[in-house]
Amino acid sequence: MLEMRGICKSYGSVRANRGIDLDVPAGRIVGLLGENGSGKSTLMKVLFGIVAADAGTIVFNGKAFAAHSPRAAIAAGLGMIHQHFTLVDAMTVTENVMLGWDHAGYWLRPREIAGLIETTSRTYGLEIEPGSIVGDLPHGQRQRVEIVKAILRGAELLILDEPTSNLSPPEIRGLFNVMRRLREQGRGIIFISHKLDEVLEICDDIVVLRDGEVTGRRAASGATKSDLARMMVGRDVTAAIDKAERTPGGAILNVVKLSHRDEKGMDRLHEISFSLRAGEILAVAGVDGNGQSDLADVLAGLRVATDGGVDLNGLDITHVSAAERLAAGLSYIPVDRATTSLVPAMSVADNLALREFDRAPFSRRGWLHRDAFQARAAQRIGEFGIRAAGPDAPARTLSGGNQQKIVVAREIGRRPKVLIAFQPTWGLDPGATRFVIDQLMALRDAGGAILYLSSSLDEVLVLGDRIAVMYRGRLSRPVPRAAADTTEIGLMMAGTRTKSDVGGQSA
Amino acid sequence: MDSSCLIEITAATVRIGTPLLFAALGGLISERAGTFAVGIEGMMLAGAFGGAIAVLTTGSPSLGILIAAASGALVGAIVAIATARFRADQMVTGLAVNILALGLTSFLLRGLFGGRAPVIRLPTLGAWPIPYLSDIPVVGTILFRQPALVYIALLLTAAMTVFLAKMRTGLMLRAVGDGPEAAFAVGTDPVMVRIAAIVVGGALAGLGGAVLSLQEVGTFTDGMTNGRGFIALAAIIVGRWTPFGALFGCLLFGAVAALELRAYGWGLPVSSYVIQMLPYIVALALLAGIGRSARMPAAIGAAFTRH
Amino acid sequence: MTTAERNTGDSKSGSPAAMLDHTVRLLTASDGLRTFLLACAAIGLALAVTGLLILVAGKNPIAAYWALIKGVTGTTGRFAFALNKSTPYILAGVGVALCFRAKVINIGAEGQIAVGAIAATWIALNMLALPPVLQVTLALAAGATGGAAWSALAAIIRLKRGVHEVLCTLLLNFVGVLLVSEALHGRMGEAGAGFPQSPLLERSAWLPNLLPDTDLHIGIVFAILAVIGGYILLWRTTFGFRLRVMGASPKAANYAGIAAPRCMLGVMTLAGALAGFAGSIEVLGVHYRLIEGFSAGFGFNAVAVALIASINPIAVFPAGLFFGFLEAGALAMQREVGVPSSLVFVIQGLTMVFVLCAIGIGARAQRV
Repeated sequence: MLEMRGICKSYGSVRANRGIDLDVPAGRIVGLLGENGSGKSTLMKVLFGIVAADAGTIVFNGKAFAAHSPRAAIAAGLGMIHQHFTLVDAMTVTENVMLGWDHAGYWLRPREIAGLIETTSRTYGLEIEPGSIVGDLPHGQRQRVEIVKAILRGAELLILDEPTSNLSPPEIRGLFNVMRRLREQGRGIIFISHKLDEVLEICDDIVVLRDGEVTGRRAASGATKSDLARMMVGRDVTAAIDKAERTPGGAILNVVKLSHRDEKGMDRLHEISFSLRAGEILAVAGVDGNGQSDLADVLAGLRVATDGGVDLNGLDITHVSAAERLAAGLSYIPVDRATTSLVPAMSVADNLALREFDRAPFSRRGWLHRDAFQARAAQRIGEFGIRAAGPDAPARTLSGGNQQKIVVAREIGRRPKVLIAFQPTWGLDPGATRFVIDQLMALRDAGGAILYLSSSLDEVLVLGDRIAVMYRGRLSRPVPRAAADTTEIGLMMAGTRTKSDVGGQSA
Repeated sequence: MDSSCLIEITAATVRIGTPLLFAALGGLISERAGTFAVGIEGMMLAGAFGGAIAVLTTGSPSLGILIAAASGALVGAIVAIATARFRADQMVTGLAVNILALGLTSFLLRGLFGGRAPVIRLPTLGAWPIPYLSDIPVVGTILFRQPALVYIALLLTAAMTVFLAKMRTGLMLRAVGDGPEAAFAVGTDPVMVRIAAIVVGGALAGLGGAVLSLQEVGTFTDGMTNGRGFIALAAIIVGRWTPFGALFGCLLFGAVAALELRAYGWGLPVSSYVIQMLPYIVALALLAGIGRSARMPAAIGAAFTRH
Repeated sequence: MTTAERNTGDSKSGSPAAMLDHTVRLLTASDGLRTFLLACAAIGLALAVTGLLILVAGKNPIAAYWALIKGVTGTTGRFAFALNKSTPYILAGVGVALCFRAKVINIGAEGQIAVGAIAATWIALNMLALPPVLQVTLALAAGATGGAAWSALAAIIRLKRGVHEVLCTLLLNFVGVLLVSEALHGRMGEAGAGFPQSPLLERSAWLPNLLPDTDLHIGIVFAILAVIGGYILLWRTTFGFRLRVMGASPKAANYAGIAAPRCMLGVMTLAGALAGFAGSIEVLGVHYRLIEGFSAGFGFNAVAVALIASINPIAVFPAGLFFGFLEAGALAMQREVGVPSSLVFVIQGLTMVFVLCAIGIGARAQRV
């Protein structure tokens, strides 16, 4: 169905694609495997008409093909499900499907389109209600809306770009079923991913990219993870993290039946209870949107709990401000560097004192004391190796990894008793990720208690001394890592298991 | 106050609310497509000026109306290019063109006529009673004995409702205002849609200005819109960004203004200036009453950037 | 190729292209410098377009601009007049600039100036028993308080009811200006005058002059103090730190423990006080009475000044001078060349639009 030959594309001096060949026969699922920066997204942008290739040919359904725009690509029979959905949250499913679709006509016919949506939904097992507002739908369902859009526009070749990144394990199963049905109907699918397990499970053929070139091409059956990993990265992965076993100390943070309802009246946290002990990392896995950010914000004091209590070392901090919690020894690393944990326009020094600027020694009687800022900056920059032009350089001039070093330096540098870390390695390259994790380990070894929230199951399994799962605002009972069952965790993340913990045996 | 007085006031409400309605509909198109319409005051003023000058020099009311729309559209084009193409801040750009329009109209009023503003006295557009319908008691006087532009405004309200809800282009316009990335993904350029919406909105606001200068007072004076554009903004919010809602809001403010005019004759113990304050106070009170529940288009205020 | 040439990456390191590239890189490296250049470019473009308009009106742009310049620099008297005109723009501009810095769009300077003026006039008309120094001080203080209250009113509506501050301050502008008319037609008006105005203030209530034999009053000193004060506030105080974080991101402000509503109320009150103070200076130092319509256009001018200064309080001074001189010279321009003085608004509006475009373009280049 699709033959791409010798695709080359450079961005300035960076050669993103170097003579790539790709074949997708009808009725086959081809996996495109590669790390960030391997050239997968560029290749798909070329195919879908978002950018133009420098060289190479594409033949689609026997005809020469060169899309100049996504619109042309769609018209020719290609469909793309992006990683970040392009749906209008305020509109219904039907309206989103009708958007920009010539078939819908000048005068809209929502009932007819809704009928089409229902038929398609039944055929592929998508279970979509045409009348629902997209903004209210969970992530997995919104992805299905995108799939319906593509199918109804007559897509014969579907490109799925990292489709499982925000899905719970059962939702992933559901997606794979849909993909199989699409395949039965004779469509071709390109499945882009960096997850070896999934690629092995669903794909018929696998193409591996590294540094803009194809480094491996084979059928999925019989392939092993280490084969693929080697083709992907050039070496065997999973560098082990040195984790010394430690006996945790006494409980430092006690959370009892913590609940939180937001301004719209929705329950975000439901009676969360757990204890955090000195010298341990409690890692909580959960798909985005199940309450992790709410838990982090409420514990840190950025949002107010509607019920329940939190105490730190015997001190009741339930209704205490974030600043006071900080002073009591509770640090917080939020996930978003651009808008929350840093002010990119302000200097490194200012950012290092961002949460204490209004207290001595940084402020006295309303006046800022610059020397205190400089002293703290010099200390932290040296201690954590922050690479910047100087303490007065704007934070936005630093690399992502160094920006996160500022946040880590600020929150860990004060030797907190408790640290709440929400996806602290998000968006960082391997070197920076390593740095953050080493810092967390050092804090733990020194007796700090860490609550580590993440949507990456791998991270949670590696880092957590104890592991728990968040689903729909509820927290499972934490169990030690050794007793944790990976399958159980996956099912709990999707809510299929209602058992109260992730241990292999029932609680 | 007897019934004929009440009918008269209601008819006046409709008439006075018409320039507001044009401006509000114009602002609505722009805001539904994702751009704050703070500049409709300037677009209205430009329309009032263009229309008056056109009629003054050519004597043709239809040409006057056309030029009024074009003048409003021109000011709209400035806002459109600055905000959609150059990503200037939407609110402050609107304020800037208000100042610009004020200065430009005052300047041209004198500059085009040898340095002195001409005396403009134009015949105001008269009522066009619709046969049969205008004879219906009560309703006939209120709705069907109005000047032509009033009918156009009311028809436009209905047309815009249909456009937004039922037509494909209307759906795309709403998508550009609520989720421009989605519109971009299906092949539309949100920047172009926003530019078109703001320019059309400007034309409508310009028509509102024409109603002022050609239908209401028959002249042009510096800054004659006097804040009506901002009242129209309030009407949009009060009407929850729907055309008929905006109509309701404009009628409300029109009623306040109509009562204001009558009130001088009633010898109330309240000073005329306090009466003049009423529209603004009422607008503020209404907005405060609605408070945070006002749901504006999701992507308004942010310039669209391609990734 | 020598080592030096290789290091600069160009075989002809003295070539014009390389030098231009080096200069551009130097100029765009500094934020302040870049803003200044952009503002200059915007003003230049606006003047050029306006020059075209003058041609359309059948007059000579060069003569017009020359008359404009002479209108402010010709004599000491004219210069003093121009400085007086700039003073309220600078004062109110500092307040608006601080608001903008915190991403609070306060465009209510006109109403705040008006209300402040009413308060100042009342004091000046009624507190005649006090010594002059006290009269003037009290009147100025009353003006600042009046303006502060008017601004705080808008802020409270914004905070309690969620109505955007643009609409609150805007609508209150109209009400504030009408309050002046109301007052002048009531007990503060001068009976028998052909024009709505208050009685002339006693000499004891007049603002002292800075230079004898000129009209220049001490307002300009206050303006300079306000600019310096604004700068110190923004960069050296805790409050200023809060404003800057607020202006960057509401989430970061929450994370940093900043009470945003309180800060918004604070900065708007401060801006209102500065505007009200400017209003009282107009009454006590320029007109020596309260006149209907004296505040026309002040509010938007303050916004324009703050914008051109690109939200840096220090730059409000040259920007305010620019607008003040523009208006002062406009009357001379109208008198001598016959170009309508409303052209000044055209220049202001165009400058604002161009500056906004420039900021929009610049923001794209600076993405995190």
